[in-house]
Amino acid sequence: MTLPGWTKEPLVHFLAAGGLLFALFAWIGEPVDPSGRSITVGKEEQARIALQWELTNGRPPTDAELAAQIDRYVRDEVLYREALRMGLDRDDAVVRQRMASKMDYLAASAAETARPDDSVLQDWLEQHPTRFADDARFGFEQLYFAERGKAGAALAAGGQIKGETISLPAKERDAPRNEVSARFGEDFAAALDQLDPGPNWQGPVQSGFGWHLVRLTEKQTGEVPPLAEVRQQVENDWRSATAEARREEGYHILREAYDVRIEK
Amino acid sequence: MKKILGIGLLVLAVAAGGWWIFLRDNPEGAAAKLAEAEAAVPLTDYPERVYWGDTHLHTSVSFDAYGFGNRLGAEDALRFAMGEEVTSTTGVKAKLARPLDFLVISDHSDGMGALQRLAEAPRLLLRDPAMQKWHDMLNESPQESLKATSEIIAAAAAGTLPDQMLNADDTGPTRDLWTEHLATIDRYDRPGKFTALAGFEYSLLPDGNNLHRVVMFRDGFDRTNRVLPFPGLNTKVEDLWAYMEAYEKSTGGQVLAMPHNSNMSNGLMFETTMSDGSPMTAEYARRRASHEPVVEATQIKGDSETHPFLSPNDEFAGFGKAGWQIGNLDASHPTTDEMQGGNYIREALKRGLSLEQQLGVNPYAFGLIGSTDSHTSLATGDEDKFFGKHTGNEPSAKDRANTPQNLGTRQGRFGWNYLAGGYAAAWARGNTRAEIFDAFKRREVYATTGPRMMVRVFGGFGFTPDMFDGDWVKAGYARGVPMGGNLADEGKAPSFLISALKDPDGAHLDRVQVVKGWVNPDGTTGEKVYDVVWSDMAKRKLAGGKVPSVGDTVDRAKATYTNTIGAPELRTVWTDPDYRAGQSAFYYVRVLEIPTPRWTLFDAVRFGIKLSADALADAVAQERAYTSPIWLGPAKAPKPATQG
Repeated sequence: MTLPGWTKEPLVHFLAAGGLLFALFAWIGEPVDPSGRSITVGKEEQARIALQWELTNGRPPTDAELAAQIDRYVRDEVLYREALRMGLDRDDAVVRQRMASKMDYLAASAAETARPDDSVLQDWLEQHPTRFADDARFGFEQLYFAERGKAGAALAAGGQIKGETISLPAKERDAPRNEVSARFGEDFAAALDQLDPGPNWQGPVQSGFGWHLVRLTEKQTGEVPPLAEVRQQVENDWRSATAEARREEGYHILREAYDVRIEK
Repeated sequence: MKKILGIGLLVLAVAAGGWWIFLRDNPEGAAAKLAEAEAAVPLTDYPERVYWGDTHLHTSVSFDAYGFGNRLGAEDALRFAMGEEVTSTTGVKAKLARPLDFLVISDHSDGMGALQRLAEAPRLLLRDPAMQKWHDMLNESPQESLKATSEIIAAAAAGTLPDQMLNADDTGPTRDLWTEHLATIDRYDRPGKFTALAGFEYSLLPDGNNLHRVVMFRDGFDRTNRVLPFPGLNTKVEDLWAYMEAYEKSTGGQVLAMPHNSNMSNGLMFETTMSDGSPMTAEYARRRASHEPVVEATQIKGDSETHPFLSPNDEFAGFGKAGWQIGNLDASHPTTDEMQGGNYIREALKRGLSLEQQLGVNPYAFGLIGSTDSHTSLATGDEDKFFGKHTGNEPSAKDRANTPQNLGTRQGRFGWNYLAGGYAAAWARGNTRAEIFDAFKRREVYATTGPRMMVRVFGGFGFTPDMFDGDWVKAGYARGVPMGGNLADEGKAPSFLISALKDPDGAHLDRVQVVKGWVNPDGTTGEKVYDVVWSDMAKRKLAGGKVPSVGDTVDRAKATYTNTIGAPELRTVWTDPDYRAGQSAFYYVRVLEIPTPRWTLFDAVRFGIKLSADALADAVAQERAYTSPIWLGPAKAPKPATQG
């Protein structure tokens, strides 16, 4: 069965869910009247308070500790309701700002978490391939020289070349570029980018340590992996890059219902 | 009409929230997938690579970071550490020149999200006049916000925080923040590529004396979400250990704690007694050692290796002391000489040996790491682009090196006192949560003050220089123990296979030293610093028992240096010339770079600022690395055979 296109619109989901909840609340009635003067701390609420205490402290609260937590809960609830009764939630710039930003957050999350399906992520991957491409990989042998002149002379002399001692690997196989850079320095990795593989010694190539003759045996450019392998990473990137756009989208959905006039 | 719209809006909001929860990825399911990916990472036979990380980073969730103006959360912090570009709170674009391999976001458990809530609370719900005042200040301007935060830290230190702030129904908001945070780091953890570990900072602060610990978990959402971050104020450290024990028992996971800024504990971090002042018991020592295997030795708020008062013969002991040594965290109480012993790591390691002699257990057998303690959500310890301790002194504050930096309210410290911050290096078989955590647990980790020099040390017997001709790393593991290990005394002098490679993108090395500490039969202790290998040894001959200075190439007018002095690698086999049979000792390696400009000098050149005389005198330093020690002691009696 194929559903018509409009059923896939986030706005439709949004309104449908809203309608459902509206019906639900109409059916069960208002849950708590915040302006009422009766507060019931039910067993369930008490269990929640106790559990949170336990999670923090690693043991269940004693009766006295639980009673103190419940008192605190009641105190905050009483003050909160009295504040509402006095209308303190109105004409308070900070409350206004806070509620607006909560709406922003909710709107953004709603839009954001409409789980991106594979085609969205596939598009994202194709639009930004370099962000997800594997590192280039190198195989090479290297000989170290503290001074450039000696490296050059050794290369010119040919024959069996012997380098100077240093605690760097003489041979690397299938090493990702970032590891080569971390070990030999960025200059060295950048130089390998420019070399072609071949059976001969090349160089001298500069590293953070000195100079090297390099025999580049293997060079693989970084491939863009299939979506399945980097799905989470693509999704993270997609989410964070589109969060702001989605917030605006959420705002515009609401904004369209308003008639705004700015008097001159 | 307005009312209907209002109801409509409310319904939409609730619907959106419901939708969000309904559609949200199930983090427990994600945890299972993550475990699978972690299991698929190939591991080497022994640690072949060092991994770089920061275990001490604050985001906007930390009350003080928020107060200082930080508005970047965990996601930005993770993206930055992985090498992506982010925009800092003050609008400066920032990208790490070299990404990190692992990160622990360690927001304060106390008042998690509290300043944000205080700033956003309806004013008239705040019953306490101090809270009303802070509320106003937080909303007024960045300067006032910073001031309010300093006052709150001072109040926390003095124990005068209003009840409402301490006892606000915090668990609800903390639960939400923690759950969301754990789900986020699971999304960013990439086994084999980048490790995001769960953690928080436990900020115990009696009387302003810094007893803070970073708590780090080995596990993912499925376990870590079964607890909440443990608050520090008005607790004892034993309560933290009990929390950790309960976590490990109930979830089967693992957790460890890392003390930091012992330099501002006024002698309390490494006491010879228990926290209540009574004589230390073996049980207390055992708990401390098992829960706190690593200490953060260096970070933005100074260096805690040792102090010139404790190590008068150590000419390099003064690094990172200026400003921090005057008092405790908020400088509410001055630090006196007799407090220094409990403030510094080298002395603590010695005290540990002495206590072990009495109790049979060493409470202070810990490894060393560095970290940043940055409050900007940006984990960077680099000097050339220092990003500041907190958002108020990001590079947009151009004169930050000269200005006083009040953490508390009473006494000034100056911007130039801040270090750029360090990094933690971990020798591990692969880059996963389990491997990185286990490296910390077995102390195969080391500290640097920012540069990424690669340091190896193995302790054993009969090591010879010709081992360097072959695969000496493999031989080191086969015939000895790596940093963090215990070496059983064989009745002859131990030898050490040591190699230090410079930061491939950084400065040359001046020298490598071995720091030895020991305990005498009467319980007194001693220490000695040995220069074991240095650059240009043929020219720099010992004079009066000292190695001559390496020199200084720093151009003060340009903030540059050259690698025309020093060496790219220093390595040697060193045998202890002062070995005494039966004497317990520890040995750790300290590596010094040649002098380079500090962030203050880079700032001065970049922004055209004239540094104060004091700041200029401290504008060049020798960055360094400290390895975890190797301990030499009597062979432990073999474990009694158990039925199996």
